[in-house]
Amino acid sequence: MSASGRMPAAAHRLASEAETVIIGGGIMGLGIAYELARRGRSDVHVLEQEYLTSGASGRNGGGVRMQWSTELNIRLMQESMEICRDFASELGINVWLRQGGYLFLIRGQAELAQLERSVALQNRCGVPTRILTPQEALRIVPELNPKSFVAACYNPRDGVVFPWPFLWGYAHAASELGVQIHTYTKVTAIDVLGPNRFVVHTSKGPIRCERVINAAGAWSPAIAKLVGVELPNHPHRHEILATESLKPFLKPLVSVLSSGLYFSQSMRGEIVGGITVPDHDDGQVHLGSRLRFLEDMAADLLSVMPVLSQVRVLRQWAGPYDVSPDGLPILGEHPALPGFYLVCGFVGYGFMMAPVIARYYAELLCGGSRHPVFDRCRLSRFADGTSERELMLIG
Amino acid sequence: MSEKCIVCPCEDVTLADVEQAIGLGYLDIDEVKRFTGLGTGPCQGKLCMVVTCQLLQKVQAADPSRRDRQPESQKEPHPFTPRPPVVPVSLYVLAAGKGADRER
Amino acid sequence: MDKPDSPLSSAERSGDEPFQIEFEGRAMPARHGDTVASALIAAGVQVLSRSLKFHRPRTVFCLSGSCGSCLLRIDGRPNTRSCQVRAEPGLRCARQNAWPSADYDLLSAADAMFPIGMDHHTLFTSPRPLNRLMQKMVHQIGGLGRLPDEDTAAEGAPSAVCKHVDILVIGAGPAGLAAATAAAHKLRGKGRVLLLESQSEVGGSYLCHPELGRAEARAALQRAEDEGVEVLVATAAFGFYGEDRHREQPSEQRGLIGAASEKVLYKLSAERYIYATGGAPQNLLFVDNDRPGVLSGRAVGRLLACHGIRIGERPLVVGNDEFAESLTAALRRSGQTVMTIDGERERLVRALGGTWVEGAEICDDKGLRRTVSCDLIVIAIPPAAASELLVQLGASVELRQPGGFVVKADEHGRTAQQHVFVCGEVSGTMATLAAAAAGARVGKCVAVELVEQRRAKASQPAPG
Repeated sequence: MSASGRMPAAAHRLASEAETVIIGGGIMGLGIAYELARRGRSDVHVLEQEYLTSGASGRNGGGVRMQWSTELNIRLMQESMEICRDFASELGINVWLRQGGYLFLIRGQAELAQLERSVALQNRCGVPTRILTPQEALRIVPELNPKSFVAACYNPRDGVVFPWPFLWGYAHAASELGVQIHTYTKVTAIDVLGPNRFVVHTSKGPIRCERVINAAGAWSPAIAKLVGVELPNHPHRHEILATESLKPFLKPLVSVLSSGLYFSQSMRGEIVGGITVPDHDDGQVHLGSRLRFLEDMAADLLSVMPVLSQVRVLRQWAGPYDVSPDGLPILGEHPALPGFYLVCGFVGYGFMMAPVIARYYAELLCGGSRHPVFDRCRLSRFADGTSERELMLIG
Repeated sequence: MSEKCIVCPCEDVTLADVEQAIGLGYLDIDEVKRFTGLGTGPCQGKLCMVVTCQLLQKVQAADPSRRDRQPESQKEPHPFTPRPPVVPVSLYVLAAGKGADRER
Repeated sequence: MDKPDSPLSSAERSGDEPFQIEFEGRAMPARHGDTVASALIAAGVQVLSRSLKFHRPRTVFCLSGSCGSCLLRIDGRPNTRSCQVRAEPGLRCARQNAWPSADYDLLSAADAMFPIGMDHHTLFTSPRPLNRLMQKMVHQIGGLGRLPDEDTAAEGAPSAVCKHVDILVIGAGPAGLAAATAAAHKLRGKGRVLLLESQSEVGGSYLCHPELGRAEARAALQRAEDEGVEVLVATAAFGFYGEDRHREQPSEQRGLIGAASEKVLYKLSAERYIYATGGAPQNLLFVDNDRPGVLSGRAVGRLLACHGIRIGERPLVVGNDEFAESLTAALRRSGQTVMTIDGERERLVRALGGTWVEGAEICDDKGLRRTVSCDLIVIAIPPAAASELLVQLGASVELRQPGGFVVKADEHGRTAQQHVFVCGEVSGTMATLAAAAAGARVGKCVAVELVEQRRAKASQPAPG
């Protein structure tokens, strides 16, 4: 990112026409915009309702892992990890990737059997995940309470990133290639004039375009409603906290799948983590903070790592998960609306998968190869009943 | 010789860092907070937020066209979202809240 | 550490019998009423901490628990605000984030490497191997304090307390003490008034005021307790949670205040809330404005008024309000040679010196610069309103210079939020005595309204 690369939104007026309008200035929308521009298709406008990092891309814990229960996710994340490793040198902005591993703690035998199958699948794909006894896990994280779990699985190649610079990196690079990024620009209505003919109405005026990409994450069902489409995904609040900064001691991200607890230590030394807390699912995006979350998080975190007792919480916030019924995203062109594309339903792992999804999405849109993920993650799978579930979800 | 004028002492963010962010087009206090990291340390902005908002106010006053891209609600100076807890609280005390005294 | 000619070595104090605390393995004297920070300052410790990235030397700035420059490891707990911990015999403390020591920290080479600031985004992004090496190094030297000692995990069981009261007053400074006292007086024992104070003693800005100090704080506390106000000190309101509820709360009400002491989590709610949360001392922008020896006026006032500590011989006071004037007068009475500038017509450009301040560069309104010799720079400008909790509950604020984000309210302290009132610095009343007067007015008004509402309710015919 050069000092001359002015921030995207600073200057541009909304043009009246574009080839592609991307709704949502999160990592997914910005990543696709960048990958399109890199392929010479830079007549792209990205519309962000607030500022960059204001949505889920600016609110997640930054985990990047290759441990999954489905082969496609494992393979995609292997590629995404490679992109993350090269991101700083390619886009000129540090993303502070630290590959300290992911350590999943297992609390019950039934859960262990399921994870053994996932680990075997990961091993077949070349991911070096191992099942560990509590004593073996203590060698990686000596501060764990060995009574809080019966086994663990560990992939030393998983890691954590600092999420925000991905957005700035993609945004700066895309805008240097000609993409226009509009912050504080809310989509109010979408007219479908015919196949591949849309007018997107915004708080700053209308844009006529051939293609609309709905990359609005938790807000994507509401965007789809503007063209009369009901999506099966729905928003779900996920809360998270950061503690005061400590000297580096914790290598991997630690997670307990059964409670949805996860925590890692950021480059700045903070313990950053969250846990699943019941919430009302009314289809709205809720971003309020609750004391109840702090209590649940503190109690479960201390049961796993008691030495953190006297560590203080500095701040808490919430981000919206975009939950799909089978834990897999919804990708590709809407079958009944030519030119209306979906990239949503990522259930909290959209951030880590965005670098690779953006690449294959741009290839698809530019008439290149069609990655198998677009068949598996097509919207019509919910009607066909051909869906396979992703089981390794946190929260 | 050091020429640092410290805006955020907790995170060692300088006036030059803030000016760079403003120069890149980050004009909202929430954007400046994220781009520079100011206000994210032990004091959570109690020392740096107001002074940064005053800098942003001056930039906007000098160039009113910059205000155009912001929605009405953002045009007046405003603090960044004050995340709880507003003072640091230990995990140990928070964990005590889980259980009997809770009402859904 | 403490050079013989250190301005701190002239710190003078009176008081009762000293005792000792342990500072990095050495015994340090402390007195009853000291905090860890005040004891170390009196003992001549110039550097209390090293900053996160550049390892710049720091010492106390606010002395009221809001800034982060006095963080020490205290009794095995990292990142602890030393200005908020009472000195007690045998207490152990040490500085953090420095190598080999906080006095001579080689990691401060980072300060010289990045002379105006650090753009961590573009730092060594390529080539790839260099980027990876840089990230590894940054990770290894990053972070502040080490993990807590293991035995700190086992100490006593914390508990949770739920309370619903008639009037909850947050902040026991001049405004909050007066508000709670006036409200309780009006309720005449027919309602509970609870007063919260985050610091370990009540008083707020009284404690920093050279003419009022602890004596006035204690008198105000006595008046509050005489009226039956329940007071919780060292209990900080840390958040307004609009979606949470607790079991003592009336069923129609939602939203609570989370508060915490060292061992107790409080979930609090009330019929009426009075926020008297005060303000956080602010610094000015000038080169090396974080050099040890640049202290807030409140810190200097508090050291003098509560701890009998006088720093230096030639302070430079920046500020032009009533507080700056009374502080200047008090420093002169204590025998110091005080210079003053108003901070507007004449402003600070640079703090000069080595580890500790030795002078200041000043610029006047014609652009003329001069250098003065001083051994303390006192930033005696008004604080910024501590309006965080109010913003959380949706109150509207406006940016004032000075004053920060002040909460909008009418003359009775009434905000646009139902049952939420403000007084004192958080609503823009900066002078100490004016804040106390405003508190008394608001407290009375809130109680009167509550009594009237109850009377009206009682006189209504029962439903059905």
